[in-house]
Amino acid sequence: MSELDTTDDAPDVGGDGVTVIDTDEPDTTSDKTVVDAAAGDDTPAAESRPSFEDLALAGPARMGLSVVAAFVVFGLFLLANGTDPIEAYQAMWSSITRDANSFGDVLVRTTPYLLAALAVALPARAGLFNIGGEGQLIIGAIGAMAMAEALGQALPRIPTLLFMAVAAMVAAALWAGIAVALRQFTGTNETISTLLCNYLAFLVLGWLVFGSWKDPGATGFPRSRILEDSETLPTLWGRVHIGIVVALVLAVGLWWVLRYSPWGFRLGVLGGNAEAARRAGLGTGRLGASALMAGGALAGLGGMLQFTGVEGQLSPQIMSGYGFTGVLAAWMVRHHPVKVIASSMLLAAIAIGGNGLKIRAGLSSASVNILMALLLLAVLGWGTARARKAA
Amino acid sequence: MLEAILIGAVRGGTSIVFAAVGETVTERSGVINLGVEGSMLAGALTAYAVGIESGSPWLGALAGACAGLALAMVQAFMVLRRRSNQIATGLAVTFLGLGATSLFGQSYVSQGVVAFDAYEIPLLGSLPFIGPILFDHDPLTYLSFAIAPAAWWLLYRTGLGLRIRAAGERPDVLVTMGTSPERVRWIAVAFGGAMAGIGGAQLATAFARTWSEDMVAGRGFVAVALVIFAGWNPLVTVVGAYLFSGAVAFQLELQARGTDISIFVLDAIPYVLVLTVLAALSGRRRFAAPEALDKVFDAETRIA
Repeated sequence: MSELDTTDDAPDVGGDGVTVIDTDEPDTTSDKTVVDAAAGDDTPAAESRPSFEDLALAGPARMGLSVVAAFVVFGLFLLANGTDPIEAYQAMWSSITRDANSFGDVLVRTTPYLLAALAVALPARAGLFNIGGEGQLIIGAIGAMAMAEALGQALPRIPTLLFMAVAAMVAAALWAGIAVALRQFTGTNETISTLLCNYLAFLVLGWLVFGSWKDPGATGFPRSRILEDSETLPTLWGRVHIGIVVALVLAVGLWWVLRYSPWGFRLGVLGGNAEAARRAGLGTGRLGASALMAGGALAGLGGMLQFTGVEGQLSPQIMSGYGFTGVLAAWMVRHHPVKVIASSMLLAAIAIGGNGLKIRAGLSSASVNILMALLLLAVLGWGTARARKAA
Repeated sequence: MLEAILIGAVRGGTSIVFAAVGETVTERSGVINLGVEGSMLAGALTAYAVGIESGSPWLGALAGACAGLALAMVQAFMVLRRRSNQIATGLAVTFLGLGATSLFGQSYVSQGVVAFDAYEIPLLGSLPFIGPILFDHDPLTYLSFAIAPAAWWLLYRTGLGLRIRAAGERPDVLVTMGTSPERVRWIAVAFGGAMAGIGGAQLATAFARTWSEDMVAGRGFVAVALVIFAGWNPLVTVVGAYLFSGAVAFQLELQARGTDISIFVLDAIPYVLVLTVLAALSGRRRFAAPEALDKVFDAETRIA
């Protein structure tokens, strides 16, 4: 919670915004005292006897221990499956450190994860849950493809890519706009609507790939045509495309915007205390809408970068699970736009390591979802000092 | 055609009925559990595997309920003891279920199944129209007919139900009664997890009769949406579940009969239906949300 943020940026308004969401108990002070007493055998007792909390570990140490614990528990899962955890971790490690290319794969995978995570972190600043990154990535890729089709290689590479990026962001922002509109006009909870929209996005993708965009020459499963060279991202080295640079710049840029721009400040006020924001005349509806749609645009760009930098063609299951991984990455660092770089890279390394697990240890590559989940649980539950204690 | 759709609605909707009714009870206590999707997966694999190993689908269903409950306990512990965010924790629990069933389920992919067979109830089953729709199903489906009224009775006619609702509305009132809202919530989350586990068991051993990775395919998330759709009333939840699976059955029926409409447009119908009804009812049903549950979404509910 906010404790995490105090270590480096004290006036982090958004951190407080997240704190509000975090409580599952009434947060008016009078209620809280009663309910804390209600817990009875829990809170007061924990205060009197020494506990994990009283070790007063500094933020990084606490975080580090939580991460290590997650790895240990995942090892127990592997043991239960009859797999040697040491060998499994060696397989994972070697598949990300074998050579420059394998480390490059981590950077390549970080790109969509990071943008999907920023798509969660930005609306979270305004107190909104966006779990529609999955669909927004897909719609971004679709928007990019639509623009490529419309341009028909009429332009050189750079303008083509710029147009595709803009199309991706606009398409995904409008897609997120569905949830915004449902929220504004009917009061539908955006957590649920963005979640359901993910399934619709995959259906739109299937409709296009099996329909008007189906490559008549493709054998086997339906796919779109392969992108032309002028429609694919330039590479830095090996398979590493410039998308990672774009993603890193945007992460730092978002941090700056949230911290120093008037818009970022207003979002923080909205997330921290919506009532105060309304009384200050901030136009809360439009402000929340802008946050959610800007988040959608970020995810859409992530979809475009993955599509033009890695996939090269649309297929029905493209980027499946990337959006949810972005949610995990954002929550692991409480939506901090710069720290999220680290969590996205960690999850990307685990995902790439999962491929090694599949090849070397014969486990399904989805097994690493356990490790990702454990990491988030460890950080959520033990990564920071218990907030209610401090209060 | 109507009969085929209604049969399909009941057959496909059963797993969602279990999950959604369980989640209704959980949410009435003031906890939202997005881990239902993971609990359903855990229930599906466990029921399938235990069914094969023991030869009894009933033992399988029981084990499935326990597996769903076990995952829900992770949610309960994290949310109630560690005070972690409910939405993020729920997603993590679902990821945990996804990964664990993928890891342990690998050796069970497309093995033979010890399945629940359909049992036609004598006399009732031979009724025209109604018989095949309601009285020619697997035993878990019959159990699902009872589960919503039972949950309703639990919530509105028992002391425990009163405490569950109080925990969801005004936990401080419970405190003055000398009851810990936290303990009540543990029970409600456990119940929801067990129901989701049975729902998953029905999916694997009676409906699909197979195990495949990620076979729940969003049904758990739909169940969570249906709870809101139903205004936190277990009886209405059932209507929502059958409406959703009826829409699925409707589009499958259209596909089977051959239509010019793209299957992807048809596949979208159930989701669009749920979103539309949610949107239509949200404004009016907002007041019906348990008060403590609203607090989960605090920062946002105050924006509109």
